Amino acid sequence: MSRAEPGSTRLYHRLVVYVLFLLLLLPLAGTLLYSLATSWSASILPSGLTIKWYLALWSDPRFLNAFGQSLLVCVGALILSVLLILPLLFVVHYHFPRLDALMNILILLPFAVPPVVSSVGLLQLYGSGPLAMVGTPWILIGCYFTVALPFMYRAITNNLQAINLRDLMDAAQLLGASTFQAAFLVVLPNLRKGLLVALLLSFSFLFGEFVFANLLVGTRYETLQVYLNNMRNSSGHFNSALVISYFLFVLVLTWAANRLNKDKS
Amino acid sequence: MSFVSVQNLQKSYAGSTVFNDINCHIERGEFVTLLGPSGCGKSTLLRCIAGLTAVDSGKILLDGQDLVPLTPQKRGIGMVFQSYALFPNMTVEQNVAFGLRMQKVANEESRSRVLEVLQLVELQDLASRYPHQLSGGQCQRVALARSLVTRPRLLLLDEPLSALDARIRKHLREQIRNIQRELGLTTIFVTHDQEEALILSDRIFLMNQGRIVQSGDAETLYTAPADAFAAGFIGNYNLLDADSASRLLQRPVSSRLAIRPEAITLSLNGELEGLVRSHSLLGNVIRYRVEARGVELLVDVLNRSSADLHPNGQRVSLSIDPTALCEVA
Repeated sequence: MSRAEPGSTRLYHRLVVYVLFLLLLLPLAGTLLYSLATSWSASILPSGLTIKWYLALWSDPRFLNAFGQSLLVCVGALILSVLLILPLLFVVHYHFPRLDALMNILILLPFAVPPVVSSVGLLQLYGSGPLAMVGTPWILIGCYFTVALPFMYRAITNNLQAINLRDLMDAAQLLGASTFQAAFLVVLPNLRKGLLVALLLSFSFLFGEFVFANLLVGTRYETLQVYLNNMRNSSGHFNSALVISYFLFVLVLTWAANRLNKDKS
Repeated sequence: MSFVSVQNLQKSYAGSTVFNDINCHIERGEFVTLLGPSGCGKSTLLRCIAGLTAVDSGKILLDGQDLVPLTPQKRGIGMVFQSYALFPNMTVEQNVAFGLRMQKVANEESRSRVLEVLQLVELQDLASRYPHQLSGGQCQRVALARSLVTRPRLLLLDEPLSALDARIRKHLREQIRNIQRELGLTTIFVTHDQEEALILSDRIFLMNQGRIVQSGDAETLYTAPADAFAAGFIGNYNLLDADSASRLLQRPVSSRLAIRPEAITLSLNGELEGLVRSHSLLGNVIRYRVEARGVELLVDVLNRSSADLHPNGQRVSLSIDPTALCEVA
């Protein structure tokens, strides 16, 4: 609902929004322009436009490999999260609602320790012995799972609280559904929004994660951010094309998720 | 033998007793109400009957079969929740058909039964809508249809009208009663609204602090409350202690006395002198607060015309119907 407000106030409010957008978009626009420039050093505007940096990037097998590996690690971690957190959330909220307070503290633990510190711990723990996983994607999947935990837990919890889980489960069971049928046919479809938000948030965060990837696997299993770091001494145009490609990928993913998430009505 | 028989039912949560030794019997086709204030155990009793809450001990017999060992799925009970509990991802038709889907009823039969109950609750035109596209009253009718379509042996209604506004509530309670009579369905209705209970029920079980304090038809409960709680909960009884009652009636009274506000009449030349302290208009009734012999009484008078109104501070005479005096424990 819009409120009546004087023209000057409206103009001021719009100005604040436009300036904020400008501030956010300016570095991105600069990077985009730089990624399309043939060269841009001694002039205000680029000397010419080209897509050769994008062609070079998308034909670089190392980049494609890093991109694929990043995708694999992120998707692996998210699948693990969904498989473990959904049943956990269901059990906590349906059978042991009092545990929610404890869970809220537990899920924040991955953020209580700085990534550099926990990386050192993980290196010690999984560097040797029967669980030697350092340098393999498995340690990254496990680590990313804990990082995704708070995003997943909070977003799905909000969704669960909004749907009145207990009454829905009770109603379904009285109508003859088993606990599994009630959870699968009634509860799960209603968690679609929360789940997609959680997945999107986690994916965007994990896809751009650098510290764990660099310290735990480095070049032995190069992810996109590690690749970007390793290419820092190459052409700035090339790196800009990489950043813009990364940004566009996340943007398209967000758009697709939003499309999927629209109400049927 | 009664159709529903609750015997010596006990339930406690974390050491605190919800109810202890509950016994009640309901006949086939009866519409009974569990009435009582919040926290008296009425909803827990309903959930125990449905199988959604485990009982500590006791029996719940439905048509001779003990329900206690059975899961909710196997009890053959339909239930309507205060929150409607409609499945948001399903249309009205899919919601109603859910129980039949679980029973693996053939599509053709399912469709005709769904249509039949939707016609019963007058919602056949909204079959393709989603719950968020319906009003509260429509949602509750869908919930009712959903619980009826499986042809339950017993229907449980857990404060189904509490979330609705007054006009819709009135319409829906008539609809519920008509459907229940039409189908001859044994129904247990839970409410804290005494008016709703009095209008709808064949019999009322009045509950307080985990006990059934009185049961009977609406008239019995209204005219002969068993104790001070019943008198205070049903209607707006004047509840007088023995001293006040003796002073008012000018004869010795040994126990507490309950007098219905409408059993006292106001006139200009009655046997008891009083002073109007305040009055409030309740639509068709005017409720006076009158002081007589140092006792404050509520007096309900039919609002016939504004000319009959007794202003605050006016001296009036009161007459109390002696048959309406009710001694309570």
